[in-house]
Amino acid sequence: MKRTATARILLLTVVWCTSWINVPAQQPRPAEPNETLIRNATLLTITHGTLENSDILIRRGKIAAIGKGLKAAADARVIDAGGKFVMPGIIDCHSHSMLDAINEGSLSVTSMVRTRDVLNPNDVDLYRALAGGVTSLNLLHGSANAIGGLNTVVKIKYGHPIDEFIFPGAMPGIKFALGENPKRSNSTVLPGVTRRYPGTRMGVEEVIRDAFTRARDYKKTWDEYRAAVARRDKNLIPPRRDLQLEPLVEVLEGKRYVHAHCYRADEILMLINIADEFGFKVKTFQHVLEGYKVAKEIARHGAGASIFADNWAYKIEAYDAIPYNAAIMTRAGVVVSMNSDSDERARRLNIEAAKAMRYGDLTEEQALKLVTINPAIQLGIQDRVGSLEVGKDADLAIWNGHPLSVYSRVDTTFIDGEIFFDRQQDLAQRADLLKERAQLEQAEPNRPPARGVSPQAPRGRRPSHADDDLWEGDIYQP
Amino acid sequence: MPRVQLRLLAVPVVLLLVVTSSILFVEAQRSGTDTYAITNARIVTVSGPVIERGTVVIRDGLIAAVGADAAVPADARVIDGNGLTIYPGLIDANTSLGIPEPSPSPSPAAGQGGGFVAALLRPATSSTTTSNSTQPAGLQAETLAEDLIKPGGDPIEAERSAGITTALTAPRTGIWIGQSALINLAGDTPQQMIVRSPVAMHVGFTPLRGGYPGSLMGVFATLRQMMLDAARYREAQRVYEQSPRGLRRPSPDRSLEALLPVIEGRMPVVMYADRERDVQRALDLAQEFKLKVIIAGGSESWKLADRLQKENVPVLLSLNFPRRTTAAMPEADPEPLRVLRERVAAPKTAGKLANAKVRFAFQSGGMTTITDLVANAAKAIENGLSKDDALRAFTIGSAEIFGVADRLGSIETGKIANLTLTRGDLFDRNSRVTHVFIDGRPVDLRPVTATGPGANMAAGSWTLTVDLGQGELANTLTLQQEGERLRGSMQGALGSVDIANGSVGPAGEIRFTVPVTLEGQTTEATFTGTITGNEMKGAVNITGRAPGSFTGRRASAPAPPAPSGTPAPPGNISVSGSATNLIFTFERD
Repeated sequence: MKRTATARILLLTVVWCTSWINVPAQQPRPAEPNETLIRNATLLTITHGTLENSDILIRRGKIAAIGKGLKAAADARVIDAGGKFVMPGIIDCHSHSMLDAINEGSLSVTSMVRTRDVLNPNDVDLYRALAGGVTSLNLLHGSANAIGGLNTVVKIKYGHPIDEFIFPGAMPGIKFALGENPKRSNSTVLPGVTRRYPGTRMGVEEVIRDAFTRARDYKKTWDEYRAAVARRDKNLIPPRRDLQLEPLVEVLEGKRYVHAHCYRADEILMLINIADEFGFKVKTFQHVLEGYKVAKEIARHGAGASIFADNWAYKIEAYDAIPYNAAIMTRAGVVVSMNSDSDERARRLNIEAAKAMRYGDLTEEQALKLVTINPAIQLGIQDRVGSLEVGKDADLAIWNGHPLSVYSRVDTTFIDGEIFFDRQQDLAQRADLLKERAQLEQAEPNRPPARGVSPQAPRGRRPSHADDDLWEGDIYQP
Repeated sequence: MPRVQLRLLAVPVVLLLVVTSSILFVEAQRSGTDTYAITNARIVTVSGPVIERGTVVIRDGLIAAVGADAAVPADARVIDGNGLTIYPGLIDANTSLGIPEPSPSPSPAAGQGGGFVAALLRPATSSTTTSNSTQPAGLQAETLAEDLIKPGGDPIEAERSAGITTALTAPRTGIWIGQSALINLAGDTPQQMIVRSPVAMHVGFTPLRGGYPGSLMGVFATLRQMMLDAARYREAQRVYEQSPRGLRRPSPDRSLEALLPVIEGRMPVVMYADRERDVQRALDLAQEFKLKVIIAGGSESWKLADRLQKENVPVLLSLNFPRRTTAAMPEADPEPLRVLRERVAAPKTAGKLANAKVRFAFQSGGMTTITDLVANAAKAIENGLSKDDALRAFTIGSAEIFGVADRLGSIETGKIANLTLTRGDLFDRNSRVTHVFIDGRPVDLRPVTATGPGANMAAGSWTLTVDLGQGELANTLTLQQEGERLRGSMQGALGSVDIANGSVGPAGEIRFTVPVTLEGQTTEATFTGTITGNEMKGAVNITGRAPGSFTGRRASAPAPPAPSGTPAPPGNISVSGSATNLIFTFERD
């Protein structure tokens, strides 16, 4: 029985994989089975404890049933997961993957730019993130500006058209940045180039306050115009629509989340004060490495915190970071998540979560929450993802060991019940890809010319010495 | 008749004779340069069936008659078109022809940082800056190509000599790049060149250097904001004009004014996009603002062919196919699979668009060797595009996209007399452009210059003697040459294999690799040497062994290819290779 089941899985995955290799975006994909039954695994539900030797049934993209001895339809894909662990897909609350541009660094307030305009669904780091059990990303603008651009929440449906990536119903958000990055402490200003304002933390605060003051005035102008139209006043010229201020009006109206990059305790409190002054809430503080110093204030404000486990001292403002940050803030009542802010770290967020058990003695369940239900809450998508519950989206991963162990790896990653990463299929694909490469290299346009230029040494994609929200290169770009 | 009356009659008669003869004289002078007839030629009209043997009459810049039986006017200059094929003049669907390159930035002032990086940071200066524009250079939508073009010049002559008579031209850089003009590639003044202007608004997605927008996200935000501002500008002007009292006057803005035809859908927008996601972003932006969009570049546009067809979006497809430019180097990282796939897929794009019924025209895409334009179209034909569709993409298809199909793009009576005459089929590798008519006048063509290695420097059958320190090994090397590339095989003591990576340079430098089996092991041997006449010699490097040397002798050089003016007699041509790569070898009998 086991053999035919595994043979069937192998056949299905091989068929699926071979069709996937040659399929350009336009050709129809092979039909995914309606139902998938994952049998006999340890289910880490996150919200209802750990269930041993249990099954999980996926039907039409949703978790249909959880329990023991579940029955599936005759044509279901059955995966025997004996000895394996099933966990909800990891949600990375701070990512710059799949973006063709990260920073619009020319102005201090760039709320008019949108990450949605520059999404790249072919970024191979998406595949690598899937191999690390990550299923959803919060794609943020960089931290070059006090007020940055608009974010996009996505499901990593690698290989699908870009429209299918967009997380349905996720609340829109905007990126703020405080501290050294928006005041350009760490970039070289070339002679003759004027430094952009602000150059101090006071300036950063003023930029934000000024932007919200203008947004408030903008809202008033439009409200007055609409009232005048309703009164049927004559000779009205509509006010100018300002794409920079409209997202800030949405923040004031509570329709857009603020994700604020920050480090130092003083700037955290500064932003909380501004938020209180203008009547909005900060949804998450990002990095917030001194959050443990002001955990109570963050909890009282109701903001979440999305942090690194043990990254520290790469800048002056990161000097006071401690690895107990997650534990201290969790105990203070803050919803804490671990994020990557890095294509490299995104593949091992399970280990980042595990570190909070080592430093701070969080329980296993609390640690797992840091990369599942907590980031889901921070992004407002907790009704759909973040735990294994009947009715939620089937975004999950099968691990060959407990996810909090450094030895564990992902076998299969599902999003909406469809397999987007499978280790066996990846291995099977490699020979075909090598063969394709050998063929292509012989083709006429790929052959080296008689006298060509020397190949360049490959350039690293993003410099690694400072992880957070780097712009392209260190040179100050006004 | 009384004598007096006769004399009186004589005056008006003489007057009449003088007047009519002078009129005839003037007529003869005019038609002496303006009327042509090309006879006995094969005419590919594009609008109708091919006329195997016929005449085209040109008069006063227009096509006066076309047909198998078209009469040759008495005053026409006759060109014997025997052996020639007449095509409508080819159209290059996207260029910057006629627009001078912007002058380089002035040298840095004292006190400013000098050097490369500072130059990068300085805003790009452009000769297209209008002094009172409200927008910085790159966002001045009011820029008109017709204000910038200058007649003549090297690029125009090069394109003409390749058979192109008409081109869409637009400035080179910017986000709102400017409004393009369709020009004929002949004329002494810009006005004589212009066929239609403006044709379309061109949009590029490259951020400005120095200032906002400095990223692709900023580019989209700027485009959006300016289009919203243009709509408001129109509203503000309208309200103010109706009743200015009590209202502050709206500030004039030429850039926003230039966007009005764009947002109202009256002027198409050409958006530069090659990768699938770029094309998708362009289509999404066009949908958001209800623009009439045309995609320029389009190398991956076939991936969105269904959407392009449904939304009726034409593509100005670039024939500047990517090819590898880096030399072979074993230590270098292998190229990404994506790049390898792209290069192979490029010639197939046109065929896929045609199959999906997407309208498209060919453009040169900034290629430096303009003769590649038709050659790459021929490659596209080898990769699934029909010859008819290829020709349409150079002629009537292009004219339809630019709204001039009623006056250009086919050989029909009354249309502008732009003609390209070739000896041999246009897409044939050995064909040559013999005459080009623009606005009914022949233009001077440049002679074809031979660059690169002689056409048969390396081709042929060579006897190779290889010395690897263990006695001499005899082999026979058979080579076929196309330009700089070599293909062929080697038989003999080192096995019977195809050569790879074969290339030959203009001074006779030859290089190729073969897998060789020595003492039961298979490795790669690289041959590098020089050819002089019918001799070749050089070095052999085999991985893991001491280098050796080789000499080669060719029995006799193969007959040089017949000069392209006359087709080679059929019995001597052999064709080999796959459908994707036809190789002609001329063998001495």
